[in-house]
Amino acid sequence: MTTDECIGVIGAGNWGTTLAKVLGDNDKRTLLWARRDELCREINETRQNSQYLPGFSLGPSVEATSDLERICKSASLIIAVVPSHTMRETARELGNYLNGEHVIVHATKGIEQGTFKRMSEVLREETCLRKIGVISGPNLAKELAARQPAGTLVASRYDEVFVRTHAALHNDYFRVYQGRDVIGAEIGGGFKNIIALAAGVAAGLGLGDNTKALLLTRGLSEMARFGVAMGAEVMTFGGMAGMGDLIATCSSPLSRNHQVGARLARGEKLEDIQRDMRMVAEGVKMAKAANDFAVRKRLDLPIVRAVHNLLYEHHQVPLLLKELMSIPAGPEFAALTV
Amino acid sequence: MRPEHRERARIEAATRVVDRHVAALRPPEEVGLEALVNDTLYHERRRLERDRGGDPRNADDSAFYHRIQKRLRHASARDLREMLDQIALRFASEIVGNFDDRVYKLSTTVVPTGLSVLLTAMSPGKLGSLGSLRHGLSDHVQIQGTVDHVRKLLDKGTLVVVPTHSSHLDSIVLGYAVHLLGLPPLLYGAGLNLFKNPVTSFFMNNLGAYRVDRKKTAALYKEVLKEYATVALELDYNNLFFPGGTRSRSGAVEQKLKRGLLGTAVRAYVGNLQSRRDKPNLYVVPCTISYKLGLEAETLIDDYLKEVGKNRYIIEDDEFSRPRQVLNFMSNLVSLDSRVVITFSRPLDVVGNFVDEEGRSLDPRGRVVDAASYVSDGGVAVHDAQRDEEYTNELSAAIAREFLRDNLAMSTHVVGYALLDMIQRENPDMDLYRLLRTGGRSPSVTATDLARETERVIGALSRSTRGPRLSDELSSDPAAVVDDALRAFGSYHTHAAAVRRGDRVFHENRNLLLYYGNRLKGYDLGRNLARPSGEAAEPAGARA
Repeated sequence: MTTDECIGVIGAGNWGTTLAKVLGDNDKRTLLWARRDELCREINETRQNSQYLPGFSLGPSVEATSDLERICKSASLIIAVVPSHTMRETARELGNYLNGEHVIVHATKGIEQGTFKRMSEVLREETCLRKIGVISGPNLAKELAARQPAGTLVASRYDEVFVRTHAALHNDYFRVYQGRDVIGAEIGGGFKNIIALAAGVAAGLGLGDNTKALLLTRGLSEMARFGVAMGAEVMTFGGMAGMGDLIATCSSPLSRNHQVGARLARGEKLEDIQRDMRMVAEGVKMAKAANDFAVRKRLDLPIVRAVHNLLYEHHQVPLLLKELMSIPAGPEFAALTV
Repeated sequence: MRPEHRERARIEAATRVVDRHVAALRPPEEVGLEALVNDTLYHERRRLERDRGGDPRNADDSAFYHRIQKRLRHASARDLREMLDQIALRFASEIVGNFDDRVYKLSTTVVPTGLSVLLTAMSPGKLGSLGSLRHGLSDHVQIQGTVDHVRKLLDKGTLVVVPTHSSHLDSIVLGYAVHLLGLPPLLYGAGLNLFKNPVTSFFMNNLGAYRVDRKKTAALYKEVLKEYATVALELDYNNLFFPGGTRSRSGAVEQKLKRGLLGTAVRAYVGNLQSRRDKPNLYVVPCTISYKLGLEAETLIDDYLKEVGKNRYIIEDDEFSRPRQVLNFMSNLVSLDSRVVITFSRPLDVVGNFVDEEGRSLDPRGRVVDAASYVSDGGVAVHDAQRDEEYTNELSAAIAREFLRDNLAMSTHVVGYALLDMIQRENPDMDLYRLLRTGGRSPSVTATDLARETERVIGALSRSTRGPRLSDELSSDPAAVVDDALRAFGSYHTHAAAVRRGDRVFHENRNLLLYYGNRLKGYDLGRNLARPSGEAAEPAGARA
């Protein structure tokens, strides 16, 4: 049975379509926004998004539309899932139709290039909304679409954001946990992409699990240092949006960031890899944003620096690895005293 | 507050609070009620013990609580509820105060004259005729900012004016300003010490002030106080809160605001919508009061620098309680270069959006948004404590931003900052406290160096995107800015902050330099000055 409340999903990419599928599985009336009319037509006629989520059908309660105004009028809960570089533009457009009663959660990983702003900040600047939250966790789209058990975090300063998002998404294969640390959840979701990229490099070099564990653990430490400098709570990084997401992203060869890293390790050029991939690898952008921020705040983030130098300074992989391994090792949590 | 409203506000404030507690009780009700009565008793008795002999009403209070204590032993749920009602009403009665409507009417017409009378009465010879004093005051109390905007909003809803707080004179100066602008008087909570002070009691009793006893720590008292403010707003009384809670000790512009009283704005707004009031809107008007000289500067900064500062939350023996000192300050204000500038900032709605002249809320892109939608669920206005707490956080952040933006940097602040910064850089190995005490290696700097530093500080401030506003005197030659500040420093304080002798400037009261310089906190001056070492200029441990 379809409940009356309508939920808007803004963005019919891989992750947006997957969340719409979960909502459809929960019989929630869902309006899925895609900018292109032909994509809307395909979804509405075939129940599939062959480009971004091939092989999975969306439930009958999901309808695709390119009409943002209609979504805002019908739905008071909006889930925004657009790439970080288009969030501002989309939010500004959405802002024409929103009012203070709307609740918005975004599921976009990454930080706005240039401004270092988090997505919730962009939403705050471009809309009238206050009730803003973020969905972040170890959620590989294809696994979730296949209804494999998974969990996620919804973080917001407003309880209502969690309560309503939980009511919409939580079901017998998808567990939705509550958090209040929006900053931490956003940082975790974006930052892990850098580490995933590094893990991809390690895999591409044929290095084993010891190396991967070293990379993940120290990567988590860098994530926490970075996050705390941005105002996050350190505990968040031990949860779904921190360690959880890091493990999933770095373990899976499905991840785009992992693929970029592995191909770089094999000597391919970044430009060529990006041209081949239809989807944006957030880690590529995030590495730049995080490295710039670290320089500005004088944070020591060696893995971030190495990934940045690999992507943007054309440093060679073996040299970077050597550099990383030559950093003196002291007390494990020395840089994390907060 | 008009008599009929006063009684209503008193009763509503008390009963709403008790009702709220009763509604949240879980069975057995006696347990929760008794805990609440006991908690209040505990806090009140502790206050009475500490304040033995302090207030003549204490004996009355003691007897009252003694009776409650005795009844408590065999009390049923009904008895307990009755006791709570009694306690809450007692609190509410005190908050409302003994208010004489005739005096009120009189005072609202003669408020500014009252201030003049006060000053003249204190020293008729010194201050000359009443007329010239009034003229002098209006010359030295300058009002700027969104005055017309605020005036337009008066017809569209209820105002909550939230000023910065650095002196007990703030409420008087603001009362004066409000009168000058032709705005109706503001209702505000004033500390009991202001009612006791000979200088201010006249104004406090007659300017629409209600009583706030900061020594009362019982949660029930604070709730009644907040509810009283809420009811007053719902009755369309324009209110004034000092959101910093207390006078800024460090001299810095308040950035950490108390959410308690501020939260009444959104509560009252929801109440207005629910009762379908004609003009339900509430407009929050941040307001910065900038003094070139701080009346209580010496006591405040000393208190700030003491580790035990928190224990002296209520200072009763400061400059303000010494009439001669107030007089000195006032005569400075009218006869010398001292000035008070009140800047009204852009009005906000209860969730921190800017409001246009029509009283409509605007989103960050300037689009009109329905303020009622923020507190609505399916189109119906509802209270939601958790949501409203966050809204108040948003409002508080918006007010803090406006404070920084509209704070007025004056010569005393800039020169105070520049001079202390120079001393710190000359003594990089000394911690702030030692430096303040000893003055470091050299007791003076050259006037030329100080002028150059002053120029740099002014330059950095003018580049800062967060504010502050720059006072007119800062556009003159840096050497003249230094002279202006030194003249002001030397005109009032017991020990001048700095004194010029020949071509050198001697720092004589570094605590005061810190106090005045702190007014420029929050603008990243350390970074904006881009000093070679790249070190932040704000001294460690001196944060507000």
